[in-house]
Amino acid sequence: MKQFTYTVTDPLGIHARPAGQLAKVAKSFADTVVTVAKDGAAVKASQLMKLMSLGVKAGDTITVTAEGANEDAAIAAVREFVENNL
Amino acid sequence: MDYSKSASGILKHIGGKENIVSAAHCATRLRLVIADNAKCDKDALEEVEGVKGVFEASGQLQIIFGTGVVNKVYDAFIAQAGITAATKEEVKSAAAKKGNPFQRFIKTLGDIFVPIIPAIVASGFLMGIMESLNFLIGKGYISMSTDNVLFVLANLFSNTAYVFLPVLIGFSAAKVFGGNQYLGGVIGMIMVHPELQNAWTMSGGIDRYLDVFGLWQVPMVGYQGHVISVIIAVFVMCQIEKFLHKRVPSMLDLFVTPLVSVFVTGFLTMTVIGPVFNTVESGIISGIQALISIPFGIGSLIMGALYAPTVVTGIHHMYTIIDLGQIQQYGVTYWLPLASAANIAQGAAALAVALKTKDRKLKSMALPSSLSAFMGITEPAIFGVNIRFFRPFICACIGGGVGAMFASITQLGATGTGVTGIFGVLLCLNAPIKYILMFLISAGVSFGLTWMFGYKDTTSKKAPAKQPDGSEESLPMADGALRILAPIAGTVVPLSETGDETFAGEILGKGFAIRPTEGKVIAPCDGTVSATMGHAVCLECDNGLELLIHVGIDTVKLGGKHYTSLVKEGQHVRAGEKLMEFDIPAIEAEGFRTITPVIVTNSDDYSDVTGISGDVPAGQPMMAVQK
Repeated sequence: MKQFTYTVTDPLGIHARPAGQLAKVAKSFADTVVTVAKDGAAVKASQLMKLMSLGVKAGDTITVTAEGANEDAAIAAVREFVENNL
Repeated sequence: MDYSKSASGILKHIGGKENIVSAAHCATRLRLVIADNAKCDKDALEEVEGVKGVFEASGQLQIIFGTGVVNKVYDAFIAQAGITAATKEEVKSAAAKKGNPFQRFIKTLGDIFVPIIPAIVASGFLMGIMESLNFLIGKGYISMSTDNVLFVLANLFSNTAYVFLPVLIGFSAAKVFGGNQYLGGVIGMIMVHPELQNAWTMSGGIDRYLDVFGLWQVPMVGYQGHVISVIIAVFVMCQIEKFLHKRVPSMLDLFVTPLVSVFVTGFLTMTVIGPVFNTVESGIISGIQALISIPFGIGSLIMGALYAPTVVTGIHHMYTIIDLGQIQQYGVTYWLPLASAANIAQGAAALAVALKTKDRKLKSMALPSSLSAFMGITEPAIFGVNIRFFRPFICACIGGGVGAMFASITQLGATGTGVTGIFGVLLCLNAPIKYILMFLISAGVSFGLTWMFGYKDTTSKKAPAKQPDGSEESLPMADGALRILAPIAGTVVPLSETGDETFAGEILGKGFAIRPTEGKVIAPCDGTVSATMGHAVCLECDNGLELLIHVGIDTVKLGGKHYTSLVKEGQHVRAGEKLMEFDIPAIEAEGFRTITPVIVTNSDDYSDVTGISGDVPAGQPMMAVQK
């Protein structure tokens, strides 16, 4: 299991567009589950609707976890996306 | 996939390039206007590589290929057919020209009546049985107790759908004209309100008149059995309702619009529309009486043919007046055999359709409708079968005319009124052979013509239906497909027109976009609100779909300004419930576009998402999701 935490700086938070892109990134690794957690509530990053319902705003800290066969690659890709876009 | 092979396959199965009037494509479909639909082999078309479905709608033959494929097939298609590309609008106008105003009127009538057919079939069949039984008992031909519970209740049920026909029509017509169906129902209810005198029991004269501001007087009489005046009233109501929806601020919309629509329409109906139609109807009755006195059976021929069209208008409920007048004058009525010929002919046409079709659903409806018509109640046969396919209706009119002519020439008169069809012979016991001959002639001509020219099974499973006002096509629904209603009134366009790569690239999922004309979002299906974000709302539908309604592009930057969410996360909503309001002019004034993607965010779990294109009122079907 790989994990990192990140504090969102984008003033708009995780809204539809970044959520969609994040879900796409997370889905691209087979046999690997990426989850995003905020304040103890964790959702699968591949589930767009759940991701948006987390309601992540600027200043919120999220915990991203990857678990599975490609967890190293997945966590790296998600981290890159998050840091560049959020 | 070989696009050019698909194109040549299509060309072959639509009867060659000579049979094409015009061709265009939308996001998923090839849309063709065909000169002669009979030359198209839909089954073969469905087999062509890449074709996901074929259906006819609004005069167009639409062949579904799916996004990304259709444009390539289209390019190959127009190259092979040697035609120039047409815009969608050109195809639309070519399709519109296919129906003349009369055909379009008939089609509108069909759209209004098809949904209520089960009600009129049930009632019509029962009414035919009960009228025959009542007649037989009344004349002493059979002996049966009329006060046992079954008889009394069956009598009560039998005419219900007809007594309250304006309510059913109002409800159905409002949908066709794009208004609120319940308000349409209310207009129908006003017209048969129990406080009004029943139009069918008016023999004792009119009890009460109302004075309209001292200008003219209108009778306080109901509109039982009327059709056209109800449709016109509901049409007027829908226009008023739509006008008000656009003008009234949304805060007041909920009570101002229904109140004003119903009151104004109700007032106009009772004081103007209804009385004008009553006058027109009385005029027609006088005209008919003059017509049938034309000698040598010519008047009867014409009237026998025109009888069924008058049933469509509902005037036939006044014909008892003619019967009674004639009986008083001559001792017999020459009108009843004429009506009987027309009714029998409609029954025979429906019977021909029933025997000829292989469509089990149609067969199971045409057969009882036909029997009901033979017993004198023709509405199920006319509205349910004959007028829908139109040609059987014409064949039946001819049959009715010929039968009526025979009756007139042989001076066939009936000694009473109230029952036509098979049991009408009991009113003609002075000349039963003539009546039976008349019966056989009407039925024979009508059946024969319908059998030969009047009906042919089409392979199309879905009859092309005109959609509620404004929307240009129907939404094809595969078996088990999930339906999504338009959450906002506006124009449906492909996601590519959002001009936003996230939406256009279907990164959030498949779907369509609406250019809104109204700042109001309603729930497109039953479900639970999973997130509200000011400018967007997410819904987890009870049927498993996950929907994102994203009002405007980049509008997240407004931080919720100009948006009012009316629901909370976790709240369960029903389809049609208001979710959000937004201020279109204010959002546009800030430099944002209000085009609204409606996305199935879990579309990966489904095989395809199809949708309509063009104008749609909120709450009408907009997309279908195939499992």
